[in-house]
Amino acid sequence: MAKSILAVDDSGSLRQMVVFSLRAAGYQVTEAVDGQDGLDKAKAQVFDLVLTDQNMPRMDGLTLIRSLRALPTYQRVPILMLTTESSDEMKSKGRAAGANGWLVKPFDPQRLTEVVKKVIG
Amino acid sequence: MTTENLLGSQVKRLLTSLSDHGNQHLTEVETDLVQTTYLLSEAIDKLGASFMAIHDGISAQKELVDLLLDGTAATPESQERIKALQDEVARHVNAAVTGLQFQDMTSQLIGRTVRRIAGLRDVLGAVGASSAGMASECKQEETAAALSEISKALEEQSAKLESVLWKAVSQTHMESGDIELF
Repeated sequence: MAKSILAVDDSGSLRQMVVFSLRAAGYQVTEAVDGQDGLDKAKAQVFDLVLTDQNMPRMDGLTLIRSLRALPTYQRVPILMLTTESSDEMKSKGRAAGANGWLVKPFDPQRLTEVVKKVIG
Repeated sequence: MTTENLLGSQVKRLLTSLSDHGNQHLTEVETDLVQTTYLLSEAIDKLGASFMAIHDGISAQKELVDLLLDGTAATPESQERIKALQDEVARHVNAAVTGLQFQDMTSQLIGRTVRRIAGLRDVLGAVGASSAGMASECKQEETAAALSEISKALEEQSAKLESVLWKAVSQTHMESGDIELF
């Protein structure tokens, strides 16, 4: 059975690129339009990996990660940030919130797939 | 300080503040627009190159497939050639996917610019509203005090505007970014 990934980003074009890249590698990808939508979908279904942007309306990526880590079902699920933010300060905040990795946009589909494979197989 | 000096000092402070803060925000707007231009230009160049390379790769594959269908080129070499062409097309598709992410970055920069301009309009509006409340014939001390309040409001509004605008996009090229696993 294909591993499931929740892709959270307020940019439709970016989500399209993530879905294109990860579905081609055999993953099942569900989209969420912002952090709140991502949290709602994560509560309805436990995903194998969450890939989230940082700056989004309603709920940002760091808040989403903290909210997910507060759920018993998401304490061990890998969460990767995929964002234009690249400062060490933000990376530290992400790590402290519970992120397992930080990917800076724009992403290369092959490298994204390699990282996802490394994290969830 | 004499009343005239006090008034002159407040006028000077207000004008300097208006100039400095206006200049600071407009410089940021200019920087964001220049960065947007770089990203758009590079993305279009890369997407154009990827499109042409994908087209060339697919055309070459089609020629080989036509030969295979004719039964004249069913050799191990032609199979290897098709595989190589497929890999090349996949590589250019990946490059195109990276290039297509320009919309995400440029829309963030444009959004920041729009919010800054709207904020700057609010700052200037606040200055205008404060000055409209000043009586045209009042004592110089009162005028100086009013100017001082306007300067203070201008500085506070400007600082508030800066604090709500995060600089999320530092990229000036459409190269894929760093990856770090914790």
